[in-house]
Amino acid sequence: MCQVDEDYNGQLDRDEVLSFSKKCVKCKEATAVLVIRAGDMFCSGCFKEYFVHKFRAMLGKNRIIFPGERVLLAVSGGPSSCSMLNQVQEGLSQNAHKKLRFIPGIVYIDEGGALGLSVEERQRTVDELQSMFKATGFPYHILPLEEVFDLPSSVLEESSPSSEQPDITYKAAVDHFIQTNRNCYLSPEKQADLTGLNIQESHTHSLQQIFGSIKTLTAKEDLLQTLRQHLLVHTARSKGYSKLMLGDNCTRLAVKLLASISLGRGAQLAIDTGFSDLRYGDIITVRPMRDYSAKEVSFYNHMYNVPSVFIPTLDTKTTDKASVLRLTESFVTKLQAHFPSTVSTIYRTSEKLQTIQPSPSSSTAHNWDKCLLCMCALDTNVVEKASAFQATLISELLSQRRASRPVDTASPTLRPEFQGPESTAAGGVGCERAACGGGCCSSVKAPESTELKSLLCYSCQLTIKDMSSADLLPQYILSEAQRRKRRSQMREEIREFLLDEDY
Amino acid sequence: MAAPIALRLQFGGGAELLFDGVKEHQVTLPSQSEPWDMKQLLVWIQRNLLKERPELFVQGDSVRPGILVLINDADWELMGELEYQLQDQDNVVFISTLHGG
Amino acid sequence: MPVQCSSCGERRAMLKRPKTGHSLCKECFFWAFEEEVHQTIVAAQLFKPGETVGIGASGGKDSTVLAHVMKVLNERYNYGLKLILISVDEGITGYRDDSLETVKRNQQQYDLPLKIVSYEELYGWTMDAIVKQVGLKNNCTFCGVFRRQALDRGALMLKVDKICTGHNADDVAETVLMNVLRGDIARLRRCTAISTASEGEGVVPRCKPLKYAYEKEIVLYAYFKKLDYFSTECIYSPNAYRGYARTFLKDLESVRPSTIMDIIHSGENLSVREGVKMPVQGTCSRCGYISSQALCKSCVLLEGLNRGLPKLGIGKHHRLHDKILTKQPLTEAEERKLRKSVDF
Repeated sequence: MCQVDEDYNGQLDRDEVLSFSKKCVKCKEATAVLVIRAGDMFCSGCFKEYFVHKFRAMLGKNRIIFPGERVLLAVSGGPSSCSMLNQVQEGLSQNAHKKLRFIPGIVYIDEGGALGLSVEERQRTVDELQSMFKATGFPYHILPLEEVFDLPSSVLEESSPSSEQPDITYKAAVDHFIQTNRNCYLSPEKQADLTGLNIQESHTHSLQQIFGSIKTLTAKEDLLQTLRQHLLVHTARSKGYSKLMLGDNCTRLAVKLLASISLGRGAQLAIDTGFSDLRYGDIITVRPMRDYSAKEVSFYNHMYNVPSVFIPTLDTKTTDKASVLRLTESFVTKLQAHFPSTVSTIYRTSEKLQTIQPSPSSSTAHNWDKCLLCMCALDTNVVEKASAFQATLISELLSQRRASRPVDTASPTLRPEFQGPESTAAGGVGCERAACGGGCCSSVKAPESTELKSLLCYSCQLTIKDMSSADLLPQYILSEAQRRKRRSQMREEIREFLLDEDY
Repeated sequence: MAAPIALRLQFGGGAELLFDGVKEHQVTLPSQSEPWDMKQLLVWIQRNLLKERPELFVQGDSVRPGILVLINDADWELMGELEYQLQDQDNVVFISTLHGG
Repeated sequence: MPVQCSSCGERRAMLKRPKTGHSLCKECFFWAFEEEVHQTIVAAQLFKPGETVGIGASGGKDSTVLAHVMKVLNERYNYGLKLILISVDEGITGYRDDSLETVKRNQQQYDLPLKIVSYEELYGWTMDAIVKQVGLKNNCTFCGVFRRQALDRGALMLKVDKICTGHNADDVAETVLMNVLRGDIARLRRCTAISTASEGEGVVPRCKPLKYAYEKEIVLYAYFKKLDYFSTECIYSPNAYRGYARTFLKDLESVRPSTIMDIIHSGENLSVREGVKMPVQGTCSRCGYISSQALCKSCVLLEGLNRGLPKLGIGKHHRLHDKILTKQPLTEAEERKLRKSVDF
């Protein structure tokens, strides 16, 4: 069908040939060496100033990291997180202008086990990173992904924000910090003397079993991301950090945003891509690199010798169509080449979105309203009868053996009524049954995966659907699932004794 | 040696435009040492029937996403897609979903 | 080995459903497809008994399937609707003539009344004539803006209560992607709505009963049912940027077939931060149609055509709206700017 219902012309910036004045737009003297955004050409000196300023301005503007706070930097070895590490180092150095005032630590999670790399390969990478981390003088933690098997199920509970900083304003905290610390140099705690990876072979085997049981790379990438995130949050908590810094740059976030939309994570977009992410309660995740494009980062790293390490990932050396994320990345890259404002436009979209917050009454205590895996508010208990979620449930129901369907839907003679919502529900039996939260239509499937489904958001349901058995998931997830199920059963039982619906 | 096989190929939904607007083709694939499969048929079509803009019909070694393929009136996703071994007198239909509405 | 139908368990499956991965035989597929559209209509309460419903009919696959299914469901479930086909004749020789012939055959096959509204009759311009003046670069803007209003005007002439269009799940998902790529937050929020409320005088509420139906299934439904539809690309080339989004969507579908529904789910669950500016909808002071400006896009485009200044409606020239309204002549400088051939 012709899609020109709406007028889309005149707002798309085609790639334009740049004018040939090769002077820096800032100092207007030095010769420009790189172009950032359409038309802005910088010399190397001005570029450095701009780059450094942007990092500190981002943290200053958002006022989320308090002076003296312990912050864990998640460094993957890639250019963006290494650049972040470099900015923190520079920002903490004695002679820095607008000095940073928090206490940093580094965490690296080695995912080699999920990729099937040999212990030697993994150790080589770790050695390289370790010497980089040592040079910073910051404490660091190098953990294999296998450690997820030792996680407590409490990692999936949202902890309430720490009470240490009750309602003091950022300004007051800064003043206090300056008074007490004026003359003392913030020395980071001593570096732990780590020699190498401590991997339990049986855990590597379990990890490979999990990833081997997942049919699609899309779902593998998704689960890897989830497990990694749990391990990061747990590490921050157990090592006494209250903030977690991620190195996602603007290009990466634009890809992530578009991929998230394709993965059904519309409700979680803002929390997935915003500057700060409050989903874990006490540990707040921040993304200070989100204003830099991948190009800016790689230029800076190149010009100022910021080291980074190439780390293979799940989609290394795969084709464009290997996964949703991979496909989205290649799409955005190609579109960016034709329309240079692509990344920044997508990125701006992310700033205009907000997360659907669960109602205030159900905020902290009700963990069952949050997805077991990604810990965002559930988007599957929808009230609306006509939705993509319901439509898919109806399709599933209608595509199954008629014998296993509720009797009424099997007969095509049901009479719909249009007048009121009550009669609608009575008419569309399939619809009403499906509205019970997704349990009934899967009654023929294995009970475990069905049970897990009700605890997951739309997108994480898709991920688990691509897994041959959810029972392979690490124990902390399965036990938390059990706990939540018991609690909701209890709620159900209690509800029967309560006359008041607003229990 | 597999014997030559006769096929009926149909193009619809606009896909026929890439074949001079001809919707139906009776073709005979020559005999070859291995049995013909869909993957080879696509190559054969590209070489022998396709008149213009191959990128609108094939992508990589498969059909361009958005073109439906039916083998004897059944969705090729049920038949093994590229691996399906063609039989004499098979009817293969390509329908573009990409334009018209 | 043939795959068995997952629904009846007896007959041979003829297609794999992209939404759920199930395999169905023809009969069970027809039943499930129709039943799903029915469930959508009931769940979203799209119609009320006794209403007159206009079906936007282009002769293409989506609207042909829509007309067929609406007719079937109206009879099967006693919706009590009066159905009318409404077609827009843009005046494109060799494209619309042929597709209108298809619509005329559909009219007879389904025994439904048909109303054709033409651009020429409504605006005094055919698309052929517009292309002659503006060239091939912005013609789609004219066509799109005019078509939207033409359907409304046709609906008003026939006094229909609602219009339904053949937009399918792929179309909706593609529009979500487009609006993200363009950063158009206002449209992003609106584009997944299954129906629009009456937005004022001259605008008939619209709905999309096929919103959750995959394009693949629509095409197969039409193919298996041997429905008569017309499939040729519009001869005046389509929007290139949309082409990127469509290709991306089809690639995504091949990686994970449920993606199309997943994108719609995303769109339905997005929420916009408070304080983000949204355009205020008002009405056009010339024709009364909804517009966020003093003049609606259609009136501005028409004024541009009639004054021989096609660029007037392309890009932002809101400052000139007052002059147009009061029929004042433009200054020479303004005219010069607008007369240059539209080119970007």
